[in-house]
Amino acid sequence: MRYGLLNVGLIVWAGCCGAAQAAITPEQAAQLPPAAGHAVSFSREIKPIFEASCINCHGRGKDKGGFRVDTRETTLKGGDSGPAVLPGKSAESLIIALVQGVDPDNIMPRKGSRLTTEQVGLLRAWIDQGAPWDAQVTFGRVEPVNLKPRLPAIPPATKAANPIDRFLEPYFAAHNIKPPRTVNDRLFARRAYLDVIGLLPPPEELETFVADRSRDKRERLVERLLADDRSYAEHWLSFWNDLLRNDYKGTGYIDGGRKQITTWLYSALLTNMPYDKFVAELVNPTPDSEGFTKGIVWRGVVNASQTPQMQTAQNIAQVFMGVNLKCASCHDSFINDLTLADAYGLAGIYADGPLEMVRCDKPTGKKAELKFLYPELGAIDPTADKPTRLKRLAQIVTQRQDARLTRTLVNRLWQRFMGRGLVEPVDDMEKMAWNPDLLDWLAEDFAAHSYNMKHLIRQILTSRAYQLPAVNVGEQQQQQDFVFRGPAVRRLSAEQFRDALTCLTGAGYSSPVTEVTPSESEQKKFAPPVALKWIWNDPHAADKAKAGHVYFRKTVRLAKVPADATAAVLCDNSFTLFLNGRKVGSGSNFKEASLFDLRPFLKPGDNLFAVDAVNHLPDNSLPGVAEPAPGTENPAGLLFYARLRSPDPGPAAKVAQEDFGSDSSWVCSSVKRDNWENPGFAPTDWAAAVVLGNMGMVPWRVSEQYLTAKLAGAYPGSVRAALVAADPLMVALARPNREQVVTTRPTAATTLQALELTNGETLDDLLKRGAQNLLTAPSAAPGDLISTLYEKALGRKPTGPELQFAREIVGQPVQPAGVEDFLWAVTMLPEFQLIY
Amino acid sequence: MTRRDFIKTASTATLSALAAGFPRPLFAEPEEKPKPTAETVIVLWMAGGMASTDTFDPKRYTAFAPGLKPDQVLSTFPQIDTTVDHIKLTAGLENIARVMDRATLIRSYTAGDLGFILHSRHQYQWHTGYAPPQTVAAPHIGSVIARTLGPRDPAMPAFIDIGQRFDLGEGEELKAFHTSGFLGSEYGPFIIANPEDALKSVRPPAGMSPARFERRETLYRKLLAQSPIGQLGSDYQKESLLRSLDNAHRLLSSPAAKAFDLSLEPKGSYDKYNTGKFGLGCLLARRLTEAGARFIELTTEYIPFEYWDTHENGHTRMVDLKKSIDAPVAQLVLDLEARGLLNRTLIVLASEFSRDMMIEGKPDKTVKDQVVVPDVINELKHYGMHRHFTDAGSVLLFGGGMKRGYLHGKTADERPCKTVEKRVVIEDLHASIYRAVGIPPKLSYEIEKRPFYVTRDGLGQPILDLFG
Repeated sequence: MRYGLLNVGLIVWAGCCGAAQAAITPEQAAQLPPAAGHAVSFSREIKPIFEASCINCHGRGKDKGGFRVDTRETTLKGGDSGPAVLPGKSAESLIIALVQGVDPDNIMPRKGSRLTTEQVGLLRAWIDQGAPWDAQVTFGRVEPVNLKPRLPAIPPATKAANPIDRFLEPYFAAHNIKPPRTVNDRLFARRAYLDVIGLLPPPEELETFVADRSRDKRERLVERLLADDRSYAEHWLSFWNDLLRNDYKGTGYIDGGRKQITTWLYSALLTNMPYDKFVAELVNPTPDSEGFTKGIVWRGVVNASQTPQMQTAQNIAQVFMGVNLKCASCHDSFINDLTLADAYGLAGIYADGPLEMVRCDKPTGKKAELKFLYPELGAIDPTADKPTRLKRLAQIVTQRQDARLTRTLVNRLWQRFMGRGLVEPVDDMEKMAWNPDLLDWLAEDFAAHSYNMKHLIRQILTSRAYQLPAVNVGEQQQQQDFVFRGPAVRRLSAEQFRDALTCLTGAGYSSPVTEVTPSESEQKKFAPPVALKWIWNDPHAADKAKAGHVYFRKTVRLAKVPADATAAVLCDNSFTLFLNGRKVGSGSNFKEASLFDLRPFLKPGDNLFAVDAVNHLPDNSLPGVAEPAPGTENPAGLLFYARLRSPDPGPAAKVAQEDFGSDSSWVCSSVKRDNWENPGFAPTDWAAAVVLGNMGMVPWRVSEQYLTAKLAGAYPGSVRAALVAADPLMVALARPNREQVVTTRPTAATTLQALELTNGETLDDLLKRGAQNLLTAPSAAPGDLISTLYEKALGRKPTGPELQFAREIVGQPVQPAGVEDFLWAVTMLPEFQLIY
Repeated sequence: MTRRDFIKTASTATLSALAAGFPRPLFAEPEEKPKPTAETVIVLWMAGGMASTDTFDPKRYTAFAPGLKPDQVLSTFPQIDTTVDHIKLTAGLENIARVMDRATLIRSYTAGDLGFILHSRHQYQWHTGYAPPQTVAAPHIGSVIARTLGPRDPAMPAFIDIGQRFDLGEGEELKAFHTSGFLGSEYGPFIIANPEDALKSVRPPAGMSPARFERRETLYRKLLAQSPIGQLGSDYQKESLLRSLDNAHRLLSSPAAKAFDLSLEPKGSYDKYNTGKFGLGCLLARRLTEAGARFIELTTEYIPFEYWDTHENGHTRMVDLKKSIDAPVAQLVLDLEARGLLNRTLIVLASEFSRDMMIEGKPDKTVKDQVVVPDVINELKHYGMHRHFTDAGSVLLFGGGMKRGYLHGKTADERPCKTVEKRVVIEDLHASIYRAVGIPPKLSYEIEKRPFYVTRDGLGQPILDLFG
């Protein structure tokens, strides 16, 4: 044998992680570099060698080949190949043979550069001198950063009242920063509205806020916005959908592997579920929340690091603990202290049987020992059944001692509001925060306030720090020498942009992609305050009425166009609704109420509602022109409800309502006349509609609960973008495909995105519909239209020159194309798309 | 300050920082950086699994006759000569046969082992170099090239994807790899679903005249100049927004946009290409290459059970499929050559795997059958390559530094017609494409603190034999 050192034991271990056994011949011993000739210092000369060349695989929790250099004992003991260091006998110590590379196929370190002759000499001298070790030195696992709770004292009060500002006062002083004045009311309100509920401030509310002279008005605004449960839920749904990779369609759903959690999530946000409970219900799920841990069951053969249990482990680690487990799910991580055993320890909790560990797609033959990533937080009983294990895991993750959970969320919200996290990147919570006291205190305060997410939002939004002028942090986003000076300039998200367009133009989504159930209190707000009646032109219609058309009309006088205007229509069998001579829509399912946004059709003064209601033949075919055959009579009825509400901008914040429904004040006729649906037509010979009975009457049995749930759940024209599937516009604006967890969306504008904004069909169609709506609005005079749009979009009136430029393009009289172009130009302004 | 002034005065450093963005590349050692032999890449994608023995790798021909035993049939087309003596193709590819002296033909491409055959997963692997799923969103090869090299002409999107619609069967699966993934949407595909509608993508919105489009732009600039925010100091977000809108406007009003307009092509030339959507796609690809495109993928379009996804009627459908590609592919080669562009443009015609009449998967690793093959063929619809074969497939390359008239790899002459020489796997094919455009196969981008290599785990080795 050329080297004469291989023994049989080596053959057992020859793979990528092979360990080594070596006995060294006297000839080889003579070839070793000589031991250094001085008394070697462990901490000065040996420790650096261990740190540079050994601990990546044999320290900090790693034990390649069963070998750990944590302490003197473990180092002497060695690993699978036997003792590594024989004190006093460096020439016979395995570690020396390996670092010297006596066997060229088995050289340590396996990665990185080889030890120099001098370093080998130092190691030899150290061993020959008895391998002394400084007892304080350990290369074992160090305590994880940001894990234990810590409650720093709040610095003494000076000017600032909010604890965040008290923590920042010494910080600013230390960085020689004199914080500028906070932003004005308009900028503050715009930020607060967009950050809490994701919508632009309505002009009336904005003006009321600006005019308010009270000192605590900013706090009260934040409070009021947080109390808008529904808008809050529908805004934060996008944030959590990204994190929990919940989407309405995409890969993985068809074969039942992937499952939505929308209903659970919506309700959790609506009721402001405490975060510890929220996480517990995701980690140890109910059937409604199991979509998060179910993962995506990929078809065909997949990498071992993508089994559903491993996806679950990765996602729990990333989303809740802010740590990357993806590397460790294939091999011991190079970027943090997590090991393959840690990944399988967590994944195994979700497995139905013992999980075999697979390293880089090669089975290791070892079974995972069940444990959480940070065993110091508590152990999992490996003999327990899966439900018990999951319950225990949820306890471990959400216990008060797990301050990584709270710090991770605090940091995510801070990043949301300030554009950059206290720790950056936000998924690397093993890094130190730029102000650890502030992070730690916020996390403890959050836990002490029952994990109330709204409390945390309130803390941040009412701080002066949040209200400082926006700064440009784009280029130092990832830099470690970042200094906080105020929130970053941010960009509207895809959903905020789309919802803002809905607010500007009334061109919204008509129905959500998934049915979500509004809270009971929310539903109650939609209870009709007027008694709704079924009507027709024949008192026996609920039993049997002639097949054919009946035309209904009613005129309603309005002082102004209400802010909310919705019609709900049920008709046995089908109908077409007209308003002021224009077709609003139609419906042909008498079991489902059709909802319509009326705002684009209403005007101040008289408004004519007209319904062409049709009783079909018994086989549900449409009646012809000829008189229907005898015996084809069947039940017929029309139920109509208009919900018309205008908020009173005064301090009492009452809402004026002018709701009305179908009743005997409507007139009807079975004869179709030209122009019957137009306001100019005089129905001189029309009869009063006949009331058949109340809403709940047989045969239709429509309950109030049904109608309110319907109105509350799918408020037409104002369905939020978060509740519909991504369209090309939203995709271009960086709404992610949620196959992987997304914790931060890219915000930089891209050319492809700009192309979508410049000539994309989705936006173009939206602008066309928007322009139509604005043209039919009462304030369609050019000046009014321009001013209103500026107020809605930018929270201010246009300046003289702006008004003049806009007038030129809008035209006199106003042209649809001009309005479209004006809408486009305003919504492309940085002032609109960015949050300053 | 006007927007133009703003763009001009924004420092070069700032703009390049914006352009560089995240994630940052982790550069390979300089000596590994190959000298580029191509500036543009055109991938001609035969979506659905193109049977090589019925196209570029002829075997013994057995004509249809009722009573045939399926295991007797290796090719359903007779072989034809090409301009290269030792390279034969199958009948129906006569035009391509005439330009084989410009081609490098790989017959030993071997697809991955991904279990039960799913087109979308193999296509994902072909286009990203990684088998799905991955823990991060893997970028398409076009996005990697766009990110690494940038556009050739600043007005022309760096990655253009022609011919695929995403609202059909398996659309979500297709979207999963038609993406720039973690590289960021700046490098994503500019999608032209139908080449005849290409102009629409670079033209003002439908119904908007160029004059109105310019008027709208002018209004925007005026309002921008008036906006108090517009007058505030510069910041990253604003610069990025203004720059992107400027780029979009530049494309929509640039001469480069004319390249998208097929109606400007002389009729004689248009007709040579016009075999339908794919043929016109070749014409569009040529026009875009002339106008400075960096990476183009043109697909025959993947729709389950359509086009090359021949689960039945393989032979008869193949006749039409070949007709749709033969003349335009050859014409694309000749036109690029005539314009002096062929040696700077790499054309890659490929498919996710091949097909066979008998074997699903690989001979030694067969997977669950998806197509019933009768013991005896009595009907024409059973005559053809209907099973998914992953042990050999053809890749046809032209230009961009590749050899001319070169054949690489060999398959067995009898079933199983598996690869017997010079096996080519996806990471090596990618490494070769990357090498042609000057990108080292070990180049990686950092994502979630780890390196993501442009070829699988940095293991791709360019196939030097292919290069002239």
